[in-house]
Amino acid sequence: MKNLAVHLRSLFGLSGKPKEALPPDLLFARFKEVLDRNNRTLEIITDMGEKLGGDYLFDITYVKSAYSGLYSTVHDSLLSFDLLTRDRYPRLHQVFGDIDARIKRMIYDISATGGEMTVFYPAISWDMGGEVGGKSANLAEVGNYLKLGVPPAFAITTHAFDALMRQNGLDEKLKALNEGPLRGETLEELRTSILNAEFPPALHAAIESALHEITAVSGRNCFLSVRSSAEEEDSDFSFAGQFTTKLNIPAETEKIKEAYREVVASLFSPKAVAYQKGIGYPLGRLKMAAACMVMVDAKSSGVIYSSNPSGDRDTLLINAVWGLGESLVEGQIDADLFVVNKGAEPAIVDRRPAAKKSMITARKGGGVEAVDTPSAMEAEYSLTPEQVAELARQAMLIERHFRRPQDIEWAIDQKGTIFILQARPLRLPEEGERPSPLPDAESARTARDVSGPRIPLKGKSRVVQKGTGAGKVFLVRHPDQLDNFPKGAVLVAGHDSSDFIRVMPYVAAIITDVGTPTSHMASLCREFRVPTVVNAGDATRVLTHGQEITLHVDDEGGVALYDGIRKDLLEYADAASPKMEDIYEFRKKRYILRYISPLNLVDPLREDFTPEGCKTMHDIIRFIHEKAVAELVETSKYGGRVKGRAAVKLDIPLPTGIMVLDIGGGLSARGKHNKVAFDQIASLPLRALLKGMMHPGVWRSDAVSLKVNDFFTSMIRMSDIVAEGRDYTDYNLAVVSREYVNLSLRFGYHFSMLDCYCSENARNNHIYFRFVGGATDIVKRSRRISLIAAVLREYGFNLKTKGDLIVARLANLGQDRMEEVLDRLGRLIAYTRQLDAVLHDDSAVDRYTKAFLDGDYGP
Amino acid sequence: MSPRIMVIDDEKIVGDMAKMSLEQEGYAVETFTSAEPALERLAQEKFDVVVTDLKMKGIDGMEVLRTVKRLYPETKVIMITAFANLDAAIEALRAEVHDFFPKPVKIKELKTSIQRALGK
Repeated sequence: MKNLAVHLRSLFGLSGKPKEALPPDLLFARFKEVLDRNNRTLEIITDMGEKLGGDYLFDITYVKSAYSGLYSTVHDSLLSFDLLTRDRYPRLHQVFGDIDARIKRMIYDISATGGEMTVFYPAISWDMGGEVGGKSANLAEVGNYLKLGVPPAFAITTHAFDALMRQNGLDEKLKALNEGPLRGETLEELRTSILNAEFPPALHAAIESALHEITAVSGRNCFLSVRSSAEEEDSDFSFAGQFTTKLNIPAETEKIKEAYREVVASLFSPKAVAYQKGIGYPLGRLKMAAACMVMVDAKSSGVIYSSNPSGDRDTLLINAVWGLGESLVEGQIDADLFVVNKGAEPAIVDRRPAAKKSMITARKGGGVEAVDTPSAMEAEYSLTPEQVAELARQAMLIERHFRRPQDIEWAIDQKGTIFILQARPLRLPEEGERPSPLPDAESARTARDVSGPRIPLKGKSRVVQKGTGAGKVFLVRHPDQLDNFPKGAVLVAGHDSSDFIRVMPYVAAIITDVGTPTSHMASLCREFRVPTVVNAGDATRVLTHGQEITLHVDDEGGVALYDGIRKDLLEYADAASPKMEDIYEFRKKRYILRYISPLNLVDPLREDFTPEGCKTMHDIIRFIHEKAVAELVETSKYGGRVKGRAAVKLDIPLPTGIMVLDIGGGLSARGKHNKVAFDQIASLPLRALLKGMMHPGVWRSDAVSLKVNDFFTSMIRMSDIVAEGRDYTDYNLAVVSREYVNLSLRFGYHFSMLDCYCSENARNNHIYFRFVGGATDIVKRSRRISLIAAVLREYGFNLKTKGDLIVARLANLGQDRMEEVLDRLGRLIAYTRQLDAVLHDDSAVDRYTKAFLDGDYGP
Repeated sequence: MSPRIMVIDDEKIVGDMAKMSLEQEGYAVETFTSAEPALERLAQEKFDVVVTDLKMKGIDGMEVLRTVKRLYPETKVIMITAFANLDAAIEALRAEVHDFFPKPVKIKELKTSIQRALGK
């Protein structure tokens, strides 16, 4: 407890010595500047999301001017933020510059990479197919955007290929390939030259450094696969099986170089050459990139066809074998077959076991080998029904994202984690040959029946994103529950939260009781096109966990909720929406939004809440907002600048000793003798809080007897706390404006701090509450922390607790809900003032928690 | 027979998106990224509605409008532009433009305008 300040500062993510702070009014003016500019930014982000969403005809002039507006507001916000924090986050400028460069690169069609030889998957963007090849571009998308499991991997780029060819004088030979008749010997010579090629020093160094990085994560003795990822591979032409794949190669530079040479040489193998000629591709033009990926220690592996090529297109096929899937991909061994219905809840409609006499495994030291399958496993299915369902969900997600049926390779490791190893378009028989065609737009339009039993909702629902989504209800009361969110479920929650980003790629629809269409979450929903309705009133009460429902929001914004999965409506929605994503230029322009609107920095309590963690413009303003709040909190804590300013005494019927310092519209009038009564407080959050503290019965004035030991502890601890806040030990202080309060409170033996912005604009609103200390021994104090935590969690706060310290945050609630929560918080502060002394055992925590939540404040 | 719509915009994305959304309504849509080939096409065949960008390299939207009106007085012209200013709008309206939209154009509004142009 010696260094409470350092402790708190680290919790708030503030580092270094506090500099000379700004006076509160100036500080707050800067803070408001930040808020205003962030709001303007969010408005532009929302507008861009809308205009680039497929409902508008737009051109590059719009994209350029909208982005230029966005750039200026973020830039201005950053300047105000620098003044506010006195340049505490210089790294943020660089991150901002990097993101800006990426976006400009796309707007102005500048080459995607700066000629790098290797690129790690997280840094690969959708438009980098030319550099990393189709296979890596697709797979990186599966990991980066859909957030599905992809093993650690890097690409060796086509720049590396060019450099290798140049170094060995092969570039001229490639050019000559199309001149005159092609001789078999020419190709053979070319392959031999590549297999013996000398590496340019830069390429050698790039591979060495990439391996260094990958082994740091996956272990020094890890093994990699080296796969071909030619420019055009897996895009318009599949090149399936034309090139070499090397499996289980030790992560050593020379071994990887050797495998890479083989992969590159396979560009000129007789079968690959025949294929290129067959599709009319000029030889020597295709460049080979490679994918180097950590091997999965596979328990089972296989292939998924996300649409059944030979039967019902509403089903998908999964093939599975024990061990590695290599022989399966080559079509060599018999595999278990699962036919799965592509419903909201995937169901196995048929399955056939295979006698899997042998299996492919990784050989110790490198390479792979076929071994006999242990006899007990031979006839056993290589997947559990749960794994089949999960694979099906992931396949449907990938298909939906790429908007085409997919041919997917996957592996499941010994722990049961699913990894996607490849995803490429699956070529199906032409439409005319389809056995059961989907209804076309017109017939679906006329056939749809929007009647049927509806589930009524009380609230005045507001549409965030139109569309149709169906699935099982998953009720979320606390962000932790999102860890168990099943793919394809409908998320139902009390209020909207940017925490939902964690499940955004998988969620079928979102319904919240309260919320606004301009929240952080709303922009995410639009980005991911998740049908979403907020402010539905009582969804969390009307809907039950696990219930199957369908949310249908039509073009006119009409909202209907149905019991059960309405397949007709889903099909209608699918057929009726124009497939703008099929237009290349549209996808390319819309892709810019990837670096603008998604929110990656969700949880300020996580370690990646740093400037470096910002991947988008939205992240940057989120970071700025959070740290601007932290700066307010922190500065007011260290604020010695209050002396001499006109703080007035709060005159209410409770002995709080609160002094109020108004920095703008916080007080409507001042009473006599520098006192201010409750009625004269114009600060929305302070009023709400005091209302709670003055609620009948919560302020326990009966003296709680302290044991001698408790009393001594309190004496020692008090001196610590007093030393921290030396400039206002005499009084408790509230810095207020009309929308803001920062309240430092010392009641008896504990110290609490509340920082809150409460306005009409939900996305500006936040509550920070921290609580520390207490007079009693650590066990009792911890019990009180448990009680406070339980109550705060119930109100939806995000918490971090440590011993007898608690830090709680809540943001983006509408004004009414904010005032309600503040009222309860006021009651809680009053109620728990001396409660630790009576928390004699753990069961008392539950008892008092329940009593408080029930509104029973009696002793 | 389906009503015939021509879309002229020097950015391909505009034509592509318009084509996709208008074909969904059952129109026959042809798109052009410059006015010259579009006018050649118009010389051969009549279109019911021409949607054209105002500011284009070479022949601009005003000239397209005048040519269309000369060839087919009953064909309706809808003007779209990224550089909306009052003068341009007034000039276009004087020259009997059916509708005038600043870009980005809400596709639904464009559809409604086309329906009106077709007298529906």
